[in-house]
Amino acid sequence: MDPMEVFKIEVTGQEEFGAKKYRELIMDILQDLGLIRSIGKLYVYVDIMKPVFAVYGLLRSGIPPLTVKDVGDVLKVQGGYQVKINDEEHMADMIRVLSDHYGRERVEQPARDIVVIASDATPADLMVADLEAEFLQDLTDALVRVAPEGFRNRRNEMTKDSFFFIAAEETLEPDMIREMREKIREMENA
Amino acid sequence: MLEPVMFTGGLYKHDLVVELVEDLGGYVLQKNVTQTEIILLILIPSEDAAALGVLSKELRGELVRAPLAGTEVAVVTPTLAIHHLPHIACDIAEYLRRHGSKTNMLGMARGVGREIAQINEYETALINEHDAAVFIFGNFQECIKKKESLYRNISVPVVVTGGPQIPQGDLPYAFGYVPSIGRVAHRARKSTEIGTLDRIVEVVGRALDKTRNAIAKDPLTTSPPRVMDAVREQVPEVEFSYSPLPIALNLTGCRVKLPYEGYRDKVSAVTFDEGVKLGEIATIRPSRMKDYILVRILPASETGFVF
Repeated sequence: MDPMEVFKIEVTGQEEFGAKKYRELIMDILQDLGLIRSIGKLYVYVDIMKPVFAVYGLLRSGIPPLTVKDVGDVLKVQGGYQVKINDEEHMADMIRVLSDHYGRERVEQPARDIVVIASDATPADLMVADLEAEFLQDLTDALVRVAPEGFRNRRNEMTKDSFFFIAAEETLEPDMIREMREKIREMENA
Repeated sequence: MLEPVMFTGGLYKHDLVVELVEDLGGYVLQKNVTQTEIILLILIPSEDAAALGVLSKELRGELVRAPLAGTEVAVVTPTLAIHHLPHIACDIAEYLRRHGSKTNMLGMARGVGREIAQINEYETALINEHDAAVFIFGNFQECIKKKESLYRNISVPVVVTGGPQIPQGDLPYAFGYVPSIGRVAHRARKSTEIGTLDRIVEVVGRALDKTRNAIAKDPLTTSPPRVMDAVREQVPEVEFSYSPLPIALNLTGCRVKLPYEGYRDKVSAVTFDEGVKLGEIATIRPSRMKDYILVRILPASETGFVF
């Protein structure tokens, strides 16, 4: 079962096999990059005779930025605050953010997973990483990987809740982009 | 008739296998040591294969037929980008290797796309130095048909792989077409996928047999393993080459991995027991691969004798 609400793929000509395989390929790549749960609907249109490749997707609700309290437990201790790190993946980012905010001399790391800050201001709500920006970067990477190789002329329009990606071998003309939008709309309304 | 086999076993006492092969008049083509294991690619006279079987059993080793041993196959992808590598290309190359072939992976500079795909003279010449080539294409049959121009001028047999079913008649320049292995983003692990890899090996095997049959009609003056043995003995520098396989065998000769300029004369002067020099029975020319030496043995129709 697809984890997406809608996943449609249309390929022109006698290319049923290609359509089926591209479906698997897109799932594999989105899964590899951990993006599959963030995409709600996905429409893919391929015209191999032109040749052009277009993807339109609707994203699930926005991802909140990662804060210090998401990375570890923040405790009030004598002379400041202590953070007990639970998520080591973002440890380096967090220490960088804390050093920038409080100054390097007020941030200490007595143990691998403990950071102590000599300040009265709580670090709990400081932003460690903008996950949405990272997600959009990963998504662009995924789209470039998914598109058939050689489709080097690309255009990617991203908004807060959707993206439209088009790639072709030839120069992307406004007419072609319009036509692809139209095709995707037809798929949406079908 | 020499039989190609692969011995896999412990490093301990493997010298006995090497000695037996040499005593029986066979050749060790390749020796791969991986910690305590060893893999030997061997050519052995077919009537003595049983003796080697007994010894390998004694040593608790495994002896299997390696039909592609002594051949070099090019695995060609439209580029070396993530779209084609690593999964499919590496799986195919690895599988061919397991059946004894020496495989080289080759990514074209401008092989991508449907309308814009092209191959240049250097790439064509490099592929032609191999015994067969496997071209890995994608999932759309229109593209696979269109990309015929990439291998039309290649003189060695070309096996094409792709996703959809395409009648062989639609690809007249390919020796064979193997479907169900187009562009995928995972390693081959299902039994159907492994079956497809088996089919590739089978088609490549048939392509090589076709070349062998063509050679048999006008046999080579001497056999490539014999040239390899003589070069290894008389040009000892070859053993110091950093390449894992200092002499790569082809069906019609071999590639000596030493600089052409420095060693051309030395390789040419290699003498056989019959008193014949290698330069007299083979063409020695620069390989398209790095600055290696390419040895192509002349057929009996040109030299007038076979030994």
